[in-house]
Amino acid sequence: MADKIKLFVNGVEVEVEAGKNLIDAIGAVGIEIPHFCYHPALGSDGNCRMCLVGIEDGRPPLVPACKTPAQAGMKVLLDAAHIKKIQHDVMELELINHPIDCPICDQAGECKLQDFYMSYDKQPSRMTVAQVKKGKKLDYGCGIVHDQERCVLCARCVRFCRQITKTGELGIVNRSDAAQVEFFPGRPINNRYAQNIVDLCPVGAMTSADFRFKQRVWFLKRAKGICHGCAKGCNITIEHNREKYQEDRIYRFLPRLNPQVNGYFICDKGRYSYHKENEGRLTVARQGSQVRNQADALAACNQEISRSPKIAMILSPNCSLEEMVAVKSLAEKLGATLSGFSDGYISAGDGDGYLIQDDKSANRAGLGILGINSNRAVFEKDLGEAQLLVNFNNDLTRSYTEPELRALLKDTKMILAASHDDGLAAMAAIAIPIAAASEYSGSLVNCDNILQSFTKAVSKNHDPVDIGTLAAQLGSPLQTRAEQFSELRKYLSVLKNFEADTLPAEGLKLTDNEATHVTA
Amino acid sequence: MSNRSQLISTGKPFQFDRERDAEFERLSTRYPTRESLILPALWLIQEQEGWICQEALAYAADRIGTFASKLYEAVTFYTMFHLHPMGRNHICVCRTLSCWLLGKQEIVDFLKNEIGITPGQISEDGRFSLEEVECLGHCGTAPVVQVNGEFHENMDAGKLKELLATLP
Repeated sequence: MADKIKLFVNGVEVEVEAGKNLIDAIGAVGIEIPHFCYHPALGSDGNCRMCLVGIEDGRPPLVPACKTPAQAGMKVLLDAAHIKKIQHDVMELELINHPIDCPICDQAGECKLQDFYMSYDKQPSRMTVAQVKKGKKLDYGCGIVHDQERCVLCARCVRFCRQITKTGELGIVNRSDAAQVEFFPGRPINNRYAQNIVDLCPVGAMTSADFRFKQRVWFLKRAKGICHGCAKGCNITIEHNREKYQEDRIYRFLPRLNPQVNGYFICDKGRYSYHKENEGRLTVARQGSQVRNQADALAACNQEISRSPKIAMILSPNCSLEEMVAVKSLAEKLGATLSGFSDGYISAGDGDGYLIQDDKSANRAGLGILGINSNRAVFEKDLGEAQLLVNFNNDLTRSYTEPELRALLKDTKMILAASHDDGLAAMAAIAIPIAAASEYSGSLVNCDNILQSFTKAVSKNHDPVDIGTLAAQLGSPLQTRAEQFSELRKYLSVLKNFEADTLPAEGLKLTDNEATHVTA
Repeated sequence: MSNRSQLISTGKPFQFDRERDAEFERLSTRYPTRESLILPALWLIQEQEGWICQEALAYAADRIGTFASKLYEAVTFYTMFHLHPMGRNHICVCRTLSCWLLGKQEIVDFLKNEIGITPGQISEDGRFSLEEVECLGHCGTAPVVQVNGEFHENMDAGKLKELLATLP
């Protein structure tokens, strides 16, 4: 627990965390100090001057709040006339050459310049000279569109590329009113985290080619999620919207702060993985080439299961712990083998030691915790002896070529529970649609042995079930999520004081003993 | 201020000549961080070529071990770096307050009549280029003109005419 100190803001005593600067310390208790250039991940730059405040202790009349540490007894002035005047003047300076294209700017609704104009400025322009026009809609690489006119030169993008990705593509060139963010000729932005620049930009100068004009941000609904793109389990905000008479669609993933996991950022590949949640989905059950309703398809599955003396099961390393434990119970009840084989989900050498991992599955650690064997030879041996394979969304096309798969399944029927209609569904005797990651709740353990939970963000028109529910419908003894969670407590002692929906927001670090078990 | 962000690419690789290379290596031991070499490296390029092209910036960034964008920032910020070829004789006329008050415009007008170019231009024969610059720090002896890096104080049209006659 951080130490607390007391200080005064506009004469009112508040208690804040020691060791932080004034923007963060006072901001944490709900008092805003406006700022453009400061960002906790990038540190202070002190170039925008929007955060100037007064301190009544003999300092100069104005100090930048981003560079001023909070101290006990400090008397901070935010509402004095000279502070209000400086905020007006800084806003006036920022707006001298800024185009007032808010109605068509894609950043409308999340632009600090627009927000601060309404909060701190609201004055008519005194400029009588022509605006300095700069470039518009410039391709800066990695799907980033730069509008130089809107830039307030806070340098967050420049600092991000230098401090975080260490690729340094951007700089502020020229001086005075010709100053602008540029990349060195022929060397545009080229890093795997580039889209964070769009999130960092406080105005509409850096926008995403992927998101521009798709939606107004105030129409979007927001839900907390965990990225399933790799084993890091980055925390994300899922932004989605259901247009009238349309399907609920995800429009973007944004990073969500979790200092224990991903800090402020996510990788571009994970960010763009929302496309897969929307597209290529398996939406109706099929038996062979015939479309079946869900109940008929389930009945057919149960019939196949009841008449197969030897059953092999496989599940996806993306399944939640609850799904895994439900499938495990089902396999045990039916005397079936269960595999977590998923070598195809590992992309060796792709990890970068920062956020991106080689392992492109979200819960491989869960397989270890539950003791589910992932060995290829064991899976192939079990499959060779079985008449039926029940596949819970394991994309075997990642591990095998199509001819290899056809050979493997030559004498074995496959029931496939799949979220997506890829090459595998065509090989299944029965295919049942299930929920994708944003459409159900559960928990995962990431590569750093941090257990995190996520909740259902999106409701589809065809309302697919999750694997835990499907396993229950196929006869798993664990019928509800609460029962699944109770079963998990047998494997994870850290869960003893928690319910399924009460896990800490920043996740739970597994005990050393459990972590050892995961890596084993 | 003008936009100086349009770098010129020569399409040819650049490298320091032997003399500048030795000087760069000598300077590199002088600073606690290699990024301190940015301005000296830019001077060395300009000394060698007379101006600074895109390839030279990329070369210097690699030699220093820093981002090319940092050299791009510096070279576009400081107007004493030339981003295109200049005349054989480069004339800078200080346009800041003291020089302005004491007759910089007469000097500029004289040069326009004498060699036929205005600030920002190069004479057709390539002999002269002319630029108005910010304060050269010689206010006590204003107006001041800098020709090929050398200062000429208390300047007027007559003295400038004599000076031009001595230039190659």
